[in-house]
Amino acid sequence: MNKKLVIALLAATIAGTAGAQVKPEDAIKFRQSGYGFMAWNMQRIKANVEGKFDKDEVVKAANAIQAIANSGMGALYLPGTDKGKGWETTRAKPAIWTEKEKLGKAAVAFNKEANEMAKVAATGDAAAVKEQLGKLGSTCKGCHDDFKIKD
Amino acid sequence: MNHQRIRIWDLPTRLFHWTLVISVIAAIVTGKAGGNLMDWHGRIGILIVGLVAFRIVWGLLGSTYARFAQFLPTPAKINAYLRGELHTEGHNPLGALSVFALLAILLVQSVSGLVSNDDISFYGPLYDIAGRELSNKLTGIHHQLSNVLIALVALHVVAVLFYVVHKKQDLVKPMITGWKESAKGESARGGGIVAVLVALVVAGAAVYGASGAWITPPPPPPPVETPNW
Repeated sequence: MNKKLVIALLAATIAGTAGAQVKPEDAIKFRQSGYGFMAWNMQRIKANVEGKFDKDEVVKAANAIQAIANSGMGALYLPGTDKGKGWETTRAKPAIWTEKEKLGKAAVAFNKEANEMAKVAATGDAAAVKEQLGKLGSTCKGCHDDFKIKD
Repeated sequence: MNHQRIRIWDLPTRLFHWTLVISVIAAIVTGKAGGNLMDWHGRIGILIVGLVAFRIVWGLLGSTYARFAQFLPTPAKINAYLRGELHTEGHNPLGALSVFALLAILLVQSVSGLVSNDDISFYGPLYDIAGRELSNKLTGIHHQLSNVLIALVALHVVAVLFYVVHKKQDLVKPMITGWKESAKGESARGGGIVAVLVALVVAGAAVYGASGAWITPPPPPPPVETPNW
């Protein structure tokens, strides 16, 4: 094949791959979507704990939260995305990028409780689910308190 | 030491005060803890709405020293008190300032809490009438104000201790027993059963309003078929 054509195609491929990195606006959208989806599932579990307990519902919700918690959302915190708008103006604090160690601890705690929630949900024990829901909610708060702007 | 004493703080005022002390401490603890304690935080907040409403009415209809008009602090009174030229039986002008400051901040704090949300699964009982954007704004205020409240409560405690230890004025015992040692003061009058009932009715109405029980829930949507995947 023509040597110049090969080089041109190669260049286009590399450029295309580079462009595949998430755009800042999308990064904010995706993470806001992630948190919102988790909020739905937290409320689902809460509804099951306060009303009629449906084990399957709780399992689905807990698995969803676990999946999102373990999906590596850190990748969506691109530098500079403490400013900008996704679905709504981001409430990410600059501290996310300056206090990485503290943030890391909060993230690990969240993952731990999310994994535990999935385990507890599988047992179908309503009382245990309620207790674990409280612990899980506390880890959400653990990040929000320090890293999310309160309007 | 004179053994003359006067009735100073009536029973409703004392009950209100100490119930408020327990409620505010519990609200701060549960609010900071979060998690499953948020439900208790919400209930205690509604209780505080009722307590503040009671006190406001009692400040108008209660016995002598509970009435706001009796201890309303004016700049003239404050100055006179600081110069040592003003003697009061009930709240002195500085104490009066703290009463109004605490009541004001508790009012804003509890009402803003009624529409707050925690982004996770807690929604205040009146969230539906505020909507998401307003709720977020008021939640922000609620968070920031909580630290002001804690500071004000700490100041209140320190001030009381200052009076007890340094000025040798026991402020705590009268708030428990209702009696104050006083040579020439006049005992409190008024604040009878009718006033108590009116204050309780208003407080009850405030609690009912705060609870959101009056918000007619939208009719349950007819069961819809959602995809089962």
